[in-house]
Amino acid sequence: MAGTLIFSENPALVLELATAALEMDSGPVYALVINNGPQAEKLSNHGLAVLSVDEPGMSSFDTAGCAQAVAQTAGQKDLSMVLLSSDRRGKELAGRVAEAMHAGCLTDVKGFSLEGGQLAFTRNSLGGATLATQAIKTPAQVVAVSPRAFAPIAPTATGSIEAVKINVPASAVKLVETRSKAGDTVDLQAAERLVVVGQGVEDQSDLALVEQVAQALKAEIGCSKPVATDKKWYPEERIIGLSGKICKPALALILGVSGQVQFTVGVREAQVIVSVNNDENAFMNKIADYVLVADLKEALPELVRQLG
Amino acid sequence: MDFNLSKEEILIQKMARDYAEQAILPVADQIEKDNRVPDDIMAGLAELDLFGMTVPEEFGGAGAGYVPYVLAMEQIARVSSGPAMIISAHNLGLGALVNFGTDEQKAKFVPQAAKGEHIASFAFTEPGTGSDPKQLTTSAVRGGDHFVLNGTKRFITNASYKGPLVLFAIEAESGQPTAFVVEKHCPGYSVSKPWSKLGWHGGDLVDIYLKDVQVPVENVLGKIGDGYPILQYGIAFGKIGMNSVALGTTLAAFELAVKYAKEKTHRGQPIAKFQAIQMKVAEIAGIYESSRWLAYRLGFLANNTKNYREFAKEAALAKWVIARNAQEATRISMDVHGSYGLMEDYEITRIYRDAAMGPQVEGVIHMQQVILAGDILR
Amino acid sequence: MNIVVAMKEIPDIQQIRIRNRKPVTDDVPRTLGNIDKNALEAAVQIKEKTDSQVIVVGVGSSEVEDTFKEALAAGGDEARLVVWDGELESSQSAQLLAALITKIDSVGLILFGEGSGDNYSSQVGSRVAQILGLPQVGYVNRIEIEGSTARVTRSLEDCEQDLEVALPAVIMVSSDINTARIPSVTQILKAGKKPKEVLAANELGVAIPAAQVETISNLAPEMERRQISVKTISDLVKALADEGFGGGR
Repeated sequence: MAGTLIFSENPALVLELATAALEMDSGPVYALVINNGPQAEKLSNHGLAVLSVDEPGMSSFDTAGCAQAVAQTAGQKDLSMVLLSSDRRGKELAGRVAEAMHAGCLTDVKGFSLEGGQLAFTRNSLGGATLATQAIKTPAQVVAVSPRAFAPIAPTATGSIEAVKINVPASAVKLVETRSKAGDTVDLQAAERLVVVGQGVEDQSDLALVEQVAQALKAEIGCSKPVATDKKWYPEERIIGLSGKICKPALALILGVSGQVQFTVGVREAQVIVSVNNDENAFMNKIADYVLVADLKEALPELVRQLG
Repeated sequence: MDFNLSKEEILIQKMARDYAEQAILPVADQIEKDNRVPDDIMAGLAELDLFGMTVPEEFGGAGAGYVPYVLAMEQIARVSSGPAMIISAHNLGLGALVNFGTDEQKAKFVPQAAKGEHIASFAFTEPGTGSDPKQLTTSAVRGGDHFVLNGTKRFITNASYKGPLVLFAIEAESGQPTAFVVEKHCPGYSVSKPWSKLGWHGGDLVDIYLKDVQVPVENVLGKIGDGYPILQYGIAFGKIGMNSVALGTTLAAFELAVKYAKEKTHRGQPIAKFQAIQMKVAEIAGIYESSRWLAYRLGFLANNTKNYREFAKEAALAKWVIARNAQEATRISMDVHGSYGLMEDYEITRIYRDAAMGPQVEGVIHMQQVILAGDILR
Repeated sequence: MNIVVAMKEIPDIQQIRIRNRKPVTDDVPRTLGNIDKNALEAAVQIKEKTDSQVIVVGVGSSEVEDTFKEALAAGGDEARLVVWDGELESSQSAQLLAALITKIDSVGLILFGEGSGDNYSSQVGSRVAQILGLPQVGYVNRIEIEGSTARVTRSLEDCEQDLEVALPAVIMVSSDINTARIPSVTQILKAGKKPKEVLAANELGVAIPAAQVETISNLAPEMERRQISVKTISDLVKALADEGFGGGR
């Protein structure tokens, strides 16, 4: 048995999963869509073979039901590989789908290679300190792939939609309300350039300067975790690192971040890293392309002036 | 010989460090400026049982003993000496009550103090006395079922807080030092405004004025005319807390030196690359380690000793070494900081002032050396 | 009701050193994951409002009993632990934890952190929910118990969902649900005296499957960067321009 079932509620991520599935080259690729006719339409128009579940009894917010839908569809179609998005919904789903399929599972997968004829996946481990290469030994495999690890697949004209019937027990979860996250919905992972604020930026009043630097560089602003959780200068959406966003920008300008692995894991795949820090020995400097040892209090206004 | 800390001791150390960093550090400058520990910090310390660590559980304490006490105090003093000084003086007064009080006295005064609702103190020093009990002038005259106290006490920590005060006075009939439990702020009790002092801001030192203060007879601690053993206990056990404060100061001096050596650059490289700086850092590291084990060991001895004379000797030794070490370590750390170390923006200034306190209080260093030498050479 | 909190014994990540690209975990003290502590705090806060017991469960090394003292100090009433010598993979941890939880009566809520402190694979909670056939909600930053229902908020990348889930259920919390309390001296000293059961894996009466995942290598990534030292802001701005990142509004 071979073949891949891909699923994410986020259509943009489905297109990335499709690329990953094709590159893995393990048989036909199907995209599952649950209770979302328009999305099925859209993905098939993009060229994907869509398996569409229309089951009014189940809902996307119920992980148990979704996991059943994924596992049963994979079973019916005899698909041994399930690719999910490693966003929050995908990660929550992954373990449950895997358990239902008696499958080994890896999440936050950033890439794969062939090691001795078997697929081997790479992902961060030990809080980002190491990069693990791991293989799944069960016949069925569930892999949650990090956003932006693969480029979205190019459109083709070969799409199709096929209805799938599944049998899902009544949901024990009820939706009361969905709220969009207020105001700040920046997509750091999509940003080409990032300016990152760390604790070396000591005064909140300096954020205005950071803003100007970001504007001049056409960059988005991210921050290290304490800047959002302790100082509350930015919403948590802007945290970069293991417990925030893992980004692959072309440029990361890092302002006053000491560089614990829990942070660096979020930027270390940037093409160019610049670290401005008053501590010459900051670990951040060791993984930077350009290092400026300077007091940010003095450096920021000058940077604004010269970039402007 | 097992130098490993137990899991409980490690957790208590971590608890104190976490609390100090999360709650005290953000207000450390404020404590320094106002010379006062904010109420919510006092409440936080109480909630963590830091006012009742050495008090047995039956009197509402944590029953942790003195090793965890030293470990926790070190971590608090590392961030701010004021709260640690308050706990130290409190623990001294409370310890005297626990050790020498009757069951009734303990039931009456200890539980609330162990929970930090009341803050205890210990008052011996007077304007005219150094460490010599024969020079006491505060008087206690019996009048029926109470004593009437008159006199002045100097440099007393925690005297403004509500709670029990173990106070020494010359009892008129016996002519001997006697310990009384005075409830602070009772009629006739008043205090000066806090002395403005070099270091240890936040822990206030005030003078106490006693004007016809009536203390019930049942508040005599120990026996009438027999205050001396309680005083000796206080002199010895008070050093455990003082040592812990000085140890925390030493740890801060070490950490600040390391941090500054890595951050500060000279001609494009961190000053940590220079041997002169490296030697200073190594020196502070050694000083800290020697203080640390002396302070921990004194805690261990406090838990296990019944021989207070022997303990007093150990305490005197630990006191002079640790207090001097703290001063030495902060001075070297100041050297590492260069001229920046003189600027109030740098924490080392506060640590430097704090370190100057230890050698001068609770028996100056030289007195400790005389006590110790007297014992060695007898 | 009993609230079960599953916590993972991990090496203290801050103290792991990398030598020759390999993580050195020998002699690194064991601790509990930070988000696991948020899960415990959530349980203790529910306990303070409802009549319930907090039972912490975990699988770990021979030191696991010592490691879990921290959880008992921070509000756990009781610990059920399994000693397992060696590596455990998510599917195996899930089987062991599910077996432990099955032995506990009247479980209303099973709490996990959203990811473990070391591996962060975020699978175990979902796997346990599937094994036990229970509903689940992940990335939860609010829990309120109302009778036999939990009202929770799931925080996703772009939205928040207020959900009602029937108990018993598995809830995985995120770190922003609360600030875990610092245990007091008394709580720390009493931790060792709280009831705990420490079992060997073969005493659980469940077959532990072979590991489903094989780790081929686990190395610190090679991060060869140029580390070009620039002395002034103008040098930096020029370097940025040379790389194609010019300024200008």
